[in-house]
Amino acid sequence: MPSDITERVDRRAFLTLAGSGGIAGLSGCIGFGGDEESGDGGDGSGSDGSDSDGGDSGDDAPDTIVFGQPGALSGSFDFLQPGVSQAADAAVRHINEAGGPLGAELELVRRDTAVDPQEARTVATQLVENDNAAAIVGLFSSEINPLWDYLQDLRTPIVTPWPGSTFLDTRGGDKGTPSDVSDDEWVWRTVVGDTVHTGGSAVYALEEGFETLGIINGNTEGERSYVDGFLSVYEQNGGTVAERVEVELGSSSYQSALSRLFDADFDAFLVSMPQESAITALSDWSDGGYGRQPILSDTLAQQAVIDQVGSDLHGAWVASPGRSGPSYDTFEDIYNEEGDAEINGWTPPSWDSVQVTALAIERAGSTNPEAIQKNLGPVSRGEGTTVSTFAEGKEALANGEEITYRGAATPTDFTEHGNVFGSVTISTAESGGFVETTEVAAEDVREYVAEGEY
Amino acid sequence: MGLLQEIIFGLVTGSYIAIAAIGFTLIYGIVNMINFAYGEYISIGAFIGFLAANTLPGPLPVAVVVAMIGGGIVSIILARGFFTPINHTGPVPMLLTSIGLGIVLRNGLRLVGGRSARYFETETSTFQFDAIPDLPVGPVDLLGDFFVTSEQLVVVGSAVAVFASIHLLLTRTDVGIAMRAMGDDESLARVRGIDTQLIRDSVWVLAGVLAGLAGVLMAVQTNVSADTGFSHILQILSAAILGGAGSPYGAILGAYVIGLVLAVSTAFLPSSMTGLSSAVAFVILIAVLLVKPSGIAGTEVREA
Amino acid sequence: MSVLDRLPSGRGDRALIAGLVCLLLGALFAVTPLRAQLPSALYVFVEVGILFVIYGILVLGLDLQYGHTGLVNFGHVVFFAVGAYATAMLTAQDTFAGIGLGYPWPLGLAVGVIAAAILGAAVSLTSIRLRGDFLAIVTLATAEIFHSIFVNFENIFGGNVGILGVPRPIASLVSDSDTRLVATLLVLGGVTLVTLAVVTRLTDAPYGRVLRAIRADELVTRSVGKSTITYKTQAFVYGAALAGLAGGLFALYNGAVAPGFFTIQVTVTVWIGMLLGGAANHRAVLAGLSIIMGLRLISRFALNVTPVSGDVFASIRLIVVGLILVAVIRYRPAGIWGDPQELGVDQ
Repeated sequence: MPSDITERVDRRAFLTLAGSGGIAGLSGCIGFGGDEESGDGGDGSGSDGSDSDGGDSGDDAPDTIVFGQPGALSGSFDFLQPGVSQAADAAVRHINEAGGPLGAELELVRRDTAVDPQEARTVATQLVENDNAAAIVGLFSSEINPLWDYLQDLRTPIVTPWPGSTFLDTRGGDKGTPSDVSDDEWVWRTVVGDTVHTGGSAVYALEEGFETLGIINGNTEGERSYVDGFLSVYEQNGGTVAERVEVELGSSSYQSALSRLFDADFDAFLVSMPQESAITALSDWSDGGYGRQPILSDTLAQQAVIDQVGSDLHGAWVASPGRSGPSYDTFEDIYNEEGDAEINGWTPPSWDSVQVTALAIERAGSTNPEAIQKNLGPVSRGEGTTVSTFAEGKEALANGEEITYRGAATPTDFTEHGNVFGSVTISTAESGGFVETTEVAAEDVREYVAEGEY
Repeated sequence: MGLLQEIIFGLVTGSYIAIAAIGFTLIYGIVNMINFAYGEYISIGAFIGFLAANTLPGPLPVAVVVAMIGGGIVSIILARGFFTPINHTGPVPMLLTSIGLGIVLRNGLRLVGGRSARYFETETSTFQFDAIPDLPVGPVDLLGDFFVTSEQLVVVGSAVAVFASIHLLLTRTDVGIAMRAMGDDESLARVRGIDTQLIRDSVWVLAGVLAGLAGVLMAVQTNVSADTGFSHILQILSAAILGGAGSPYGAILGAYVIGLVLAVSTAFLPSSMTGLSSAVAFVILIAVLLVKPSGIAGTEVREA
Repeated sequence: MSVLDRLPSGRGDRALIAGLVCLLLGALFAVTPLRAQLPSALYVFVEVGILFVIYGILVLGLDLQYGHTGLVNFGHVVFFAVGAYATAMLTAQDTFAGIGLGYPWPLGLAVGVIAAAILGAAVSLTSIRLRGDFLAIVTLATAEIFHSIFVNFENIFGGNVGILGVPRPIASLVSDSDTRLVATLLVLGGVTLVTLAVVTRLTDAPYGRVLRAIRADELVTRSVGKSTITYKTQAFVYGAALAGLAGGLFALYNGAVAPGFFTIQVTVTVWIGMLLGGAANHRAVLAGLSIIMGLRLISRFALNVTPVSGDVFASIRLIVVGLILVAVIRYRPAGIWGDPQELGVDQ
């Protein structure tokens, strides 16, 4: 990798310059200077000082490395957080047992954002500047989108298991040029975007002969984004929508919305709502005896949904991403040792985000955010030795090999926009739970997404 | 489906709201405060009912009774602790206190009850009525097939039972008559020898009992969580004010107006606006306050 | 300062001078190569500080309505939101969802203030005669209606994503983050101080005495020939316009608006701040706001030293906030620095 070597030399020269600039800066609180680049992230501060001489070798690594995890400890998605937290904790334990990145102890600091963008901004700042997090392994769509400019200014890699938003389809990642951060956007997601897995669901619906559709969805971002993704593929390939009803979440009854929906003529109906509202709506549907084929959004692949709605729901299917990665089994074993939180669609991506970020640090030989950003692509793409965990990756890197991380949720092969593709699992509701019935391969889904658009 | 079915849905939704709105409006009428924490009273009732249903033997009605008793006890304790000491300060400080108390209770419930929603185990049977002739007027079908579920019948039945009990209480018992007297004119009531504090306490207990009942009914239809009641507080409040704050009869009327508006607006609004149905309820509330500020039946709320 | 002290309306003038100095310093950082250095541990404090000065404008407007005139506006966030959305939609370029017209930001800011003022006028023309707690309900319902509208009409307001791509005038002038933060805090803080000066002038004038007379006893005020409705409407519109200004500044600082920024939480925060500090005293309400926002921030750091888990901690934090509100109303109804007599509260 000759280009990498020159890049590192340049980097070292730059860091020396920046370091001296920082010292000069420390001597007075205010200085004049036109040096654009050295302004980022506070050069005079301690966090950069540690890697100004350890940029390539890592022999002067810190004792602890911190990942910050903003989470929904309260707020609208808090019921998904236990699985995500447990996966991250399991990953951290596994990594530390394998010797830790750069031999340091990896530590996870988790803080509550309540899925509120204003809180998220405070939390992200606190994690990066006060907890000295090298990377952030969290944040939701509804936090990332309105904070986009701010997160770019933060210049810290955000590798998040949460967002499905189509907004991120063409935003984020290293744009296919790992060594050049000038065009980078600092958000990566280890979960499949809505565009892709809803596409898988739409493909399957058409294959099954459901040509017209009724839709009931919540009027919130995640639910709309899901339906829009579904429809873009469904309508392109000949499906039609007979009726679409948007509803407010948290209502005590959805009967009126259902009666409106089922006045229309269609083969199957798509339900995209968060779990609690969906249970109310589907119970109403069952009580009303409306029948027809239900298609559920991925968040609804939970035992509680079947338990509460009852046998009418049997035969309903869900297309969910996130359990089809090559190393899913490895993940599941380690995860189950950690605790007993239920696995949801964001649990394996949470594992992947911690693993791949730790590997990026190991390859970078540095905890500098920019160095991590540069290495997220190289440890996940290409032809290197395939590794399924940090332990394997650390060993391979020590042997001087290039590595390619193959994750639990998806193969974690980051696109230029920092997205991942994965196959979509179709599960059908039966009395005992959701049973996997078939799978739409990643390649099939990929056909429906234009190159460079994801 | 026709308008008839929508009206049934509206009546059911209205019944949930009505039971809670009576409790809410009684507090308003007697204690003279808008109790924003009332949603949490409902949630507490739901939690108590859920606990009772899972620990006590016996059918769901036993749990309902326990929730009503528990709701009454919680309500009087909270009133003694938070509201009675500041009774003299006027409506605004009491409203603000109730907002603070609501935050405390909601998060307290979250802390104790955990994050995930719980569900009552209930069986529902559905009665279909299929041979109803259509009665089209323009694009709207006034009759048409419809169904009702056992759960809906229970809700409407409970509401009717509550209305009857409240009516009897207010017209036939000393406490109820004293309540009405106090709602009309507190100082006059005191002059006539009514123990106003006792009446206030009775109202708090009664409001708590109604919150317990409403809580279990709502939780059976949706779920038990810290937000069970909070997500309905604005509808309850709208119903109470719509009907004329302080008047239980007005609150019943207001609740059914809100319920019907929610149902009909979801059915007939353009599909890009169906998510706005609760906003429509607020628009009606504001409109009523502007046109007839005293509500459909009630007292003057303008001061100038 | 001794010279300034002797000026007739010294409090307002000092705030004005301090505000202008802040604006000047901020501009200096923004347009000259002058750079600030900020230890990274302080970033989060400056971030919250910027939010504080924006909310400061909100609380000053609210205090004009409630503290001085007795108008119970419990939907203050709606004026903040309308100002922010108007500014954002007029100025945004390449927004992901919703409307972005790409006009220059000063125009957007002006329209934001005007839009909030118009909404304020509409609300007050229809509802200002209502009794205090009913006005609270109408304003609360107004805020809920607008929240639903912003969420529901995705093609216009961007739904839950909001309006993105709003220009950030200060960030576009300063590239390094230390200086940008300091400059933003100085400029927005300057605006808040100037606002403080203006409202102090307003309320120290005879006009302010009429407002407080309305609060104390409306009938008496009317009987001496003052049109109390006109005064109340004006106070309400001024407060709304200030909230619109805060909203516009917020949009131009954050570069995006979304419904998540404009929840009832904002209203609750400024109300608690105002009551804690002491309504009808401009500097007290700012101090009260700083206490409540400071407590929230510091409690974030307390997570590191408490033995409880993060999710328990999150609930406890909110319980404490609620208890503070309850305790202030009960034990210090006039707030920490408020004048009980002026507010006409007992105890």
